Amino acid sequence: MSTRIVRSLVGAFLALTFSLAASAASKELNLFAWSEYVPQSVLDGFTKSTGIKVNYETFASGEEMLAKLLAGGTAYDLIQPPDYIAEALIKNKLLVPLDYKKLPRFKNLLPAFLKMPHDPEQKYTIPYMASTVGIVVNSERVKEPVTGIKDLFSPKYKGRIVTVDDGRELVTAALYVLGYPLNDINAKNLKEARPLLAQWIKLIKLFDSDSPKTALLNGDVDLGYVWGGEAALLWNENKKFIYVLPKEGAHQFVDVLAVPKGAKNSDAAHAFIDYLLRPEVSKIISDEFPYTNPNGEARKLLSPEQLANPASYPKDTRKLDTFRHLGDSGAMIDELITDLKNAK
Amino acid sequence: MQALAIPDAENLHARRPRLWGWVLLAPLVAWLVAFVVVPMVILFGYSFCTRDDLGRVVFSFTLENYGRVFDPIYLRILGRSIGFAAVTTVLCVAIGYPVAWYIARQPERIRDKLLLLVMIPFWTSFLIRTYAWIAILKNEGLLNGMLQYVGLISAPLPLLYTPAAVLIGLVYAYLPFMILPIYGSAEKLDNALVEAAHDLGAGPMRAFSEVIIPLTWPGITAGMLLVFVPAIGMFAITDLMGGAQVPMIGNVIQNQFFRARNAPFGAALGVVFTLMFVLAYALVHRRASRTR
Repeated sequence: MSTRIVRSLVGAFLALTFSLAASAASKELNLFAWSEYVPQSVLDGFTKSTGIKVNYETFASGEEMLAKLLAGGTAYDLIQPPDYIAEALIKNKLLVPLDYKKLPRFKNLLPAFLKMPHDPEQKYTIPYMASTVGIVVNSERVKEPVTGIKDLFSPKYKGRIVTVDDGRELVTAALYVLGYPLNDINAKNLKEARPLLAQWIKLIKLFDSDSPKTALLNGDVDLGYVWGGEAALLWNENKKFIYVLPKEGAHQFVDVLAVPKGAKNSDAAHAFIDYLLRPEVSKIISDEFPYTNPNGEARKLLSPEQLANPASYPKDTRKLDTFRHLGDSGAMIDELITDLKNAK
Repeated sequence: MQALAIPDAENLHARRPRLWGWVLLAPLVAWLVAFVVVPMVILFGYSFCTRDDLGRVVFSFTLENYGRVFDPIYLRILGRSIGFAAVTTVLCVAIGYPVAWYIARQPERIRDKLLLLVMIPFWTSFLIRTYAWIAILKNEGLLNGMLQYVGLISAPLPLLYTPAAVLIGLVYAYLPFMILPIYGSAEKLDNALVEAAHDLGAGPMRAFSEVIIPLTWPGITAGMLLVFVPAIGMFAITDLMGGAQVPMIGNVIQNQFFRARNAPFGAALGVVFTLMFVLAYALVHRRASRTR
């Protein structure tokens, strides 16, 4: 008797938990995105208008995102990879094609940010924000003009430079100076880049990908090779921080939104993407994180001062290239940079 | 009957604590198996594997990862990491020993308060304390500001993002781990033994080196292990306070997992590194028992 009661109780309990879990699942969105990139007010606004709770888990680099995604601890519904990682995920069939019927506001996006090399058919990804990697100069401390990578890495600036702590960005800078396309990463080109990089690394005071603006604001360094978004924040803080796109060429990056294979709540993911594409929501993102907004309707809502920020909306888009998926040559870059830092 | 009952009773007594011991140990053993043994086995397995272009581990046997570990690049980095850890340990002993000794010689009431002071920093996140050091050491930071105000220097000293900053960060982070075990030994030390040494004609130097040091040696070695071993692998301080300029072995391993998409190589580095810890531990342990 008693065992039967226990059994039925357990059954009822299990049924209850399952139904609770199921209803919770359709009311939750597991978002895996860059830290400091999606404003809390946007997440709250989405929950308010749809009733879907957003679990915002963050990463600090595209590679970290990739490692955690592949480790498969959580079933993410929506991820925010940089372009070249999205390309790798597409090639390995790890993304789910988007359902454009659920994205009526897709039309708000500017054509310049669509059908880019990482997703030529625009089947899997929606651009979130874009930016460039460029040179920041504290014009109060540096009087000479700095127009390119060669000017930046000049011996007179030894100990006054911050760069992102990212081997591929440094190698890209070297390839630009050598006149090679930024995605031509092979043993021969790296060998040519090596002496240049060896010289530069001796000049750099600080490598920081997370917040390179801090050292510039603190006055510990006077020049930087940093993300455009960081430079835009510096310019907002103080107009003495000038942003320059290197004349040799600059790396443009686009962070995209995509639904990974195994997503449990693809509907919520689409609803969130479409919410982000609302001009007034997209404007909130730009207000907080002044990257280049690919949303044409949202740009109409920005203030003249926001649009005048040279790091967010560079006037002169001379030579911009995006990263492509490299295969496993990333290890070659890591070994080269480790070796050169080691020799310091 | 009696003859049978006695060994039984003995057996029971002998078995009961053993069984209870295992029951009490079970949570710890389960924890060790789940979070130390299993991960180590996975790490060991990965270290013989290769990877695909996304960094996923591919199960095909190779020794290449171990070949790379012994590349001069990585040996030099390991050497540097050991060097930094060794200097940190020496500084921690030099700074921590007098502090621990002083605390141990105080009346109990004051002693507890002083110990609390040693432990208070643990109430704040380690990263926040490291950022606090950045605020102190930066060009326009507290220290430079103070030195300039007093007039000792005219231009700010470049303190942050130097090897010295890394050492400051390391010593600061690990000092309590040196003070506490030394305090443990020093507190137990019987003052009568020191007095006896003086009575027998030993000067302060001789009493210190031949009585006090050997008696507190277990605390010193425990502190040395607690500081030296984690200091080798530390990467957050070298990144934040050293400006990520020179790589330490901890940075290199972290990069394999989160940057170079090369978990198998990272695993191989981790395995070699762990074996070295075990070796270092065995050496210190043997020395400790020999001096005793």
